[in-house]
Amino acid sequence: MSDAYANETRLVGSESTVYDRALDGVVSLTVVGFALALLALVEVVDLAASGAELGEAFLAVLAVTVGGVAVVGAFSWANVVPVTSDRVRGVAAGAVVSVVVLTAVAYSGPSLASMLGWLLVFEAAVIVAAGVASRVGVVETSPDASAGLLAGVAFAVLGLAVGAAVGGSALGFGSPLWIVVALSCGLALGALTVAPREDVGSTLPAGLVVGALGISIASALLNVGWTWSPQAISGGFTGGVVVPLFVLTGSLLSAWAAAKAREGFGAQGRQYGTFLVINLNALLMLVVMVAIVAFVAMKGVGYAFHGFSVGAATAFVATLPVLVVALGRARTPVGAEEWHDGARQLFRVLPLSAVGAVAALFASVAVTGTELAYAFTYTVQVNREPKVLDTAVSVTPDLTVGTLVLLFASVALFAGFVRRYGSLENVGERGSRVARVRSALPVVVGALGALSVAFVVAGPTPFGVPLAGTLGYGLVSAGALGAVALAVLPATTLLATDVETGLAERAVAVAPVLVVGTFGSLSVFAVVAVLQATAGVVPTVAGYAVVPLAAVVAAVAALGFAGIVAGARRDADASIRTRLLGEELTLSLSATAGFLAVVALHVAFTGVPFELGALSVSDAGSLSWPMTLQAYIPLGAEPGGILPAIVGTVWLVVGATTFAVPLGVGAAVFLTEYAEQGRFTNLVEVATNALWSTPSIVFGLFGAAFLIPRLGGDESLLAGMLVLGFMLLPLVLITSREAIKSVPDEYRDASAALGVDKWTTVRSVVIPAAMPGVITGVILGVGRIAGETAPLILVLGSTLNATEAADVLGGFRFVSTAPFVENPALLGASASLPTQVWAVIAAGVSGSPSMGWASAFVLLLVVLTFYAVGITARTIFRRKLDYE
Amino acid sequence: MFTHLTSNVRTTLLGRDASRGAVLTVGSAALALLASVVVFLVAPTHALPAFAGFLALTAVGWTTHQAETARFVTFVATVSTVLTVAFITVFLFSSAFPAVGAHGAGLLLIPVQDGQIRWFFWLDAVLPTGDSFWNPSSGAYSLIPAIWATVIVTAIAGLVAAPLGLFGALFISEVASDGVREVVKPAVEVLAGIPSIVYGFIGFQVLNGFVQTSFLDDGASFLIAGLIVGLMALPTVVSVSEDALSSVPRSMKDGSVAIGATQWQTMKSISIPAAFSGISAGVILGLGRAIGETMAVAAVMAAGVGLANPLFDVFDASATLTSLIATNYGSASASTVDVLFVAGVILFCIVAGMSVLSQFVERRMEEKLRGDA
Repeated sequence: MSDAYANETRLVGSESTVYDRALDGVVSLTVVGFALALLALVEVVDLAASGAELGEAFLAVLAVTVGGVAVVGAFSWANVVPVTSDRVRGVAAGAVVSVVVLTAVAYSGPSLASMLGWLLVFEAAVIVAAGVASRVGVVETSPDASAGLLAGVAFAVLGLAVGAAVGGSALGFGSPLWIVVALSCGLALGALTVAPREDVGSTLPAGLVVGALGISIASALLNVGWTWSPQAISGGFTGGVVVPLFVLTGSLLSAWAAAKAREGFGAQGRQYGTFLVINLNALLMLVVMVAIVAFVAMKGVGYAFHGFSVGAATAFVATLPVLVVALGRARTPVGAEEWHDGARQLFRVLPLSAVGAVAALFASVAVTGTELAYAFTYTVQVNREPKVLDTAVSVTPDLTVGTLVLLFASVALFAGFVRRYGSLENVGERGSRVARVRSALPVVVGALGALSVAFVVAGPTPFGVPLAGTLGYGLVSAGALGAVALAVLPATTLLATDVETGLAERAVAVAPVLVVGTFGSLSVFAVVAVLQATAGVVPTVAGYAVVPLAAVVAAVAALGFAGIVAGARRDADASIRTRLLGEELTLSLSATAGFLAVVALHVAFTGVPFELGALSVSDAGSLSWPMTLQAYIPLGAEPGGILPAIVGTVWLVVGATTFAVPLGVGAAVFLTEYAEQGRFTNLVEVATNALWSTPSIVFGLFGAAFLIPRLGGDESLLAGMLVLGFMLLPLVLITSREAIKSVPDEYRDASAALGVDKWTTVRSVVIPAAMPGVITGVILGVGRIAGETAPLILVLGSTLNATEAADVLGGFRFVSTAPFVENPALLGASASLPTQVWAVIAAGVSGSPSMGWASAFVLLLVVLTFYAVGITARTIFRRKLDYE
Repeated sequence: MFTHLTSNVRTTLLGRDASRGAVLTVGSAALALLASVVVFLVAPTHALPAFAGFLALTAVGWTTHQAETARFVTFVATVSTVLTVAFITVFLFSSAFPAVGAHGAGLLLIPVQDGQIRWFFWLDAVLPTGDSFWNPSSGAYSLIPAIWATVIVTAIAGLVAAPLGLFGALFISEVASDGVREVVKPAVEVLAGIPSIVYGFIGFQVLNGFVQTSFLDDGASFLIAGLIVGLMALPTVVSVSEDALSSVPRSMKDGSVAIGATQWQTMKSISIPAAFSGISAGVILGLGRAIGETMAVAAVMAAGVGLANPLFDVFDASATLTSLIATNYGSASASTVDVLFVAGVILFCIVAGMSVLSQFVERRMEEKLRGDA
């Protein structure tokens, strides 16, 4: 919006009158009343509370309101978030004033229920007064001739309900008289809305209804203890629900009427009134969503993290990739607008400081050796007995890093850095020595690779000659030494060359050495690690395994080189040299990550922990998380976890995806690229859409009656995978078709114009262009089926307390009879996260609610992660498409 | 005739001008696939090796004649997708058939309570009556209570989802600024992603207790189930209606704004009427979701089957068509399973019909708007 508009609203707004202020106040009061009624409905505040107890509750509300208004006000004052709308300012001021008044009233004695009732009565009075003031011409408004039929019908329905309630409770539902009362009430209210001019038609009926609701509460006709259970129905109504519902309805109504009056009725007034209701509705939806997620998290997080402990070194390594991502974000340049600049810079740097603080915390735990623990107790049901669990979430000063954690972190970092690395081609002086090393490398790597293949085929002692123990041992040691020499080469070259020239210049000059050294040493290390595994030897020096030791030395060298380059880059003036040094920095950092990955690989292959001083890398890391890393322990002292369910869900998702994605994508390609568009493709589309909306339980029925008898006659993992695959299939097909269709025809034409045949066009132009859409669709679809329960109950069974995870990979056996391959794990029942939650429900009293909440929490975490990844991916891809 | 047919098959599989080698490789792969399907139907245990043969032949084809093989593979994917859909449908119907034959109109039996035939929309005069409507041991299988329970739950869900969904869609497409939309739209999608069992668990653990204290009920009730299902159908309504509102051409809205209408007037008189079919398609689709929802309903209401008394008593409880299947299948006898298939077929038909209807409505709107624009 341009500044001209901002000034205009401010000028118009400066003429606000008592009428405007009163109505702004009512709008804020309704919002406060709405929030209080919601809190009362979910029993956060007690309707019967009064005096000091209620006053304290109001003080909390006051603090929240004043805090919120003050923050926005401060930002507005600093011109960071300029609030130019006079309505917003009025509502904010009204909110503060009304909450202050309400707090004062609360201390004087009335109960919350009667306060809310009087609140409604007050709102009704102001609204009616506003309507009358407008009608007699005290204030200048621009009402229409009538409030409109839409409002009339709405009020008629409302009147019908009020009339039915009043008539029914006064006359009884037995006689037909209550229908007469209800009808006349509805008609009267509808007529009162439609007949008079708009200012009266939209305030008077609203005021009447709100006032009636308010008086029924304020006069203690309806209070907390009030109940009404009609004979006809099996339930009844209590004050605890009816009073908040009345206040909610009344607040919405008076908000609408007050907002309308505030803008002087007419088209503008209706707009403000409706938008207020629409905004409130949207806010309510967001609140519900956040509340559901937060509620499950709150209930489940305690048990889900019981006994969670992690070594400081492991935690530190795990945060490294996040740290690098945050660093990348902090480095992105901000825009050049003056006052936005500072704020943006702040938001760019905030994540870095947060992650950095966490990383520093872990490092401090490792250095000082004091454990960091958050202890809490948790009551769980074990064999129907409540049992208090003393537990803690802790970061231990353990310096052992798990192989998997190290491998994941280092590979992620390596991939990230290599992706950012561009090229150092034709930079620096290429000596003849470098060229020689470069040409020799492929030969060495190829020879070592061939040797390891030979060891795999012929075993470590081919023809009885113990080659592995001799030749293998020697070559592994020599290879490791050579690799470490290559890795150290850049740093030594840099330090050894002519000291006369500047550091930055020399660093650029060694670029060829760096490239050859890094990639050469990484490839030699990789092949040596493989050779070591195939030969089955582990050369050691003074108790240390040679390969990881060499890798650590190489990592230190690469990190050192990176440090030197970073220093040189700092001093260099902004020029092409800075860019080149940046490339070198990226390359040496990726080398560091790569060397660490070699250490992790070594430990993973040999299974022997590698220790260096206090630090160690080991298969059994220092992460303990019973909930997700353990199965149920029958009669155990510790309640175990839900590992089998997690493993089961992973396998279900993997199986369904491998079944559905090739089929769906293939069919989408055929239908869009090969088939003639017409009746057949339309039919397929309608059929797949229908299949997509088919209730999941129907798929379960099909799986249970058709698949299970043909897959061994018992509930099985394979049947679950197939059923979920059937459900995923239509979604993959639909989204892939959409994605392929949205590839512009120009792409295909351009390819065809080059004389490329159809399939090659599809393979190298259409599918790559459609890939983002396909991947996003698959991720979202997987998120949906991962939480699917109904079909799994029928085909997978529901196991509470599974003690063993399905071992699918290790379950394959070759047999000599019919199918020739069998896998008992695939054909047996398994636990899964959704059925685990269902099992808790089905178990009734013997189910442990805390276990259920924790499982639901983990399930929600898994599903929402899929959604978050899918939605983020889609946003990024769309933005990319928009920029192209 | 025969040559015409074979040449047709050949064009579909291989495109217009395929070489002799391509015909041979792809043809043999097709034969292998056909063989493995036949083997699967005759002797399922031997299907795996036959299928492995197909894979091997396809791999050979991929290296020698990639273009033709790719076309063939995608064709096979299409055919198997279509066949899967067709097969599921046929299988469901054929499995439901025995129960319809055995019980006939008995599946729609109207219960007698307190010596009186329950009133059921004047259908009680036509349909058979009986003392017990769900008693597997005596062979009484009436689906009327489950159907009625589905109707009540869906109606409550519709009352929640339709207005809130319309308001939500209006907010996202017309009211919200770009920044807010970037937050709210994904949030609605995430709301759709919360697994139904999580809703069910919340309902089972928390809301049932709430109903007991606040609505003086014995726990399980249509009201709670309907509210939860409505919340679950909400995102579908919002996103489909929002798509419809966004697809109203800009020129139409701009025209309205240009003659001095406010934003709300534009919405009320231009956007909503123009997108009306799309919005109703969204509501229909949302109701379809509500009908098909299983776990939340099964978790909130127990497995008992009963006709609400009086019919509109939202505090009563009964299994719906979906939860009837979910909770009864595990322990069911063969004849009960057949009846559950009838329930499945009813669900399948209703929901598929609603889906087709909503697609039809949506397509008509697209055509209309295209004509206008």
